[in-house]
Amino acid sequence: MSEPILRVADLRVGYGRGEAVRGVSFEAAPGSLVTLVGANGAGKSSIINAVSGLVRPAGGRITFEGQDITRTPAHKLVGRGLVQVPEGRQILATLTIEENLQMGSWHTGPGTRRSIGDMYDRFPVLAERRALPAGSLSGGEQQMLAIARALVAAPKVVLMDEPSMGLAPKIVDEVFRVIEEIRASGTTVVLVEQNARRALRAADHGYVLQSGEVVHSGPAHQLLADERIVQAYLGVDGAT
Amino acid sequence: MQQLLNGIFIGSIYALFAIGFTLVFGILDRLNLAHPAVFAASAFVGIELVARGGMSLWTALPVVFAVGALLGLVIERLAFRPLKNRADAHFAGLISSIALAGMLIALLQWRYGPDTRRFPAGSFPDSRYEVAGAQVTLVQIVILAVSLALMVGLTYMVTRTRLGRGMRAVAENPTAARVLGVNVDRVTAVVFAISSALGAVAGVLFAINVNTAQLGMGAAIELKGLAVIIVGGMGSLPGALIGGLVLGMAEVFAVQHIGSSWRDVIAFGLLFVILLLRPQGLLGARKVREV
Repeated sequence: MSEPILRVADLRVGYGRGEAVRGVSFEAAPGSLVTLVGANGAGKSSIINAVSGLVRPAGGRITFEGQDITRTPAHKLVGRGLVQVPEGRQILATLTIEENLQMGSWHTGPGTRRSIGDMYDRFPVLAERRALPAGSLSGGEQQMLAIARALVAAPKVVLMDEPSMGLAPKIVDEVFRVIEEIRASGTTVVLVEQNARRALRAADHGYVLQSGEVVHSGPAHQLLADERIVQAYLGVDGAT
Repeated sequence: MQQLLNGIFIGSIYALFAIGFTLVFGILDRLNLAHPAVFAASAFVGIELVARGGMSLWTALPVVFAVGALLGLVIERLAFRPLKNRADAHFAGLISSIALAGMLIALLQWRYGPDTRRFPAGSFPDSRYEVAGAQVTLVQIVILAVSLALMVGLTYMVTRTRLGRGMRAVAENPTAARVLGVNVDRVTAVVFAISSALGAVAGVLFAINVNTAQLGMGAAIELKGLAVIIVGGMGSLPGALIGGLVLGMAEVFAVQHIGSSWRDVIAFGLLFVILLLRPQGLLGARKVREV
């Protein structure tokens, strides 16, 4: 296995008195799709926010392309190719769709117009409505915009926080199709999901989180094949 | 006609002052009550530049703009940034900016004393023109042109440029802006700098218009500026422009037709009437913040 592009070691994140993340370690090989799964409150979003520089870790070490980024703020990481698709999409509703995509290229000056054009080819629904406020899009379309906006930044690693949350099953299929396309294009994906089965089916490697700790990890297909893990952590019904 | 023009001249200064106010409010959700002190300070700086520095109006204005921007950075760093993570950052910033304004005015008094200051005689060209039967001076035309140019420039910047997009992104959702790689602290500082630069130019234009600068001039325009941005619709740039012009004209007409002691009664009374009819302000949208 090649040197991981992203490595998180003994990460601790605390809010107030409690610790949401208690010594989590994981890594992602270049071009791989790694997923962190677990129930609500397992610390998934805290990990993503710490890695992307939105939240300062209480302890541990995060390295990206071999360099320490543990205390690097978000606005510096985006330019270096570590980009987040945030939970709840966080599109800018009052800005137009085009302006949202332009915001994605805050750090990548030239070539922006072309990469936005590429996104319009990939997501025709965004092209049709480029001049409308992003708030006029449906939930699924907003998720596509959030993903497209992250891709405009030409990321090396995309951190995705619950991209299927609140979406209809058909739209979820589409989101996962896009995620697999991103990965197929050589971009590393770190996917955080409550929809654990679905995420593990798409992933190379999986980490099962509970109460801020990694309780299981391994190749995704092995985790899925382990009846005890499936029963204990992934819920009985995994049809979606 | 003469009153209409006078109303427009003074109103354009109110508008320029108020736009600085409303820019910080609309983008950062903060009320910067040191803004009136910048207005007053820049008038004194402007007179100093012309009287002692021997500068012309044309060189003095850009210098005042730069001084205002610098003051804006200082205000942001001292009065707002240290408090930004507090749950009550709104009120804390409001109060710390009042305190900073008090310090600025005290420094002005220490430097210039309590007396009214004037531009030296002959500082400006004395050309007069007839416009539709009314007298207009070149200085008044300059005031109007500078105010309008700055307001148009600001609107262009906010709606069409990368920096403006970043500002609107921060206005709507600072967290989303950070996720996208925007350095929110830097954008915040730039907003304060631009706001104060506009307030500074408004101050020196006001001083040119009445040919005096007084320590109390900031306090006198403070309430007007707040009234203008409320009537215009909080955070709305064109609203502040219209609000400023309405207030300027209402004042001039009140003085002319009713008497100068009625000026504030009529002007602010009109603003109350507007708010009764349109509580969100002339161009204010009922903002719904996305969760």
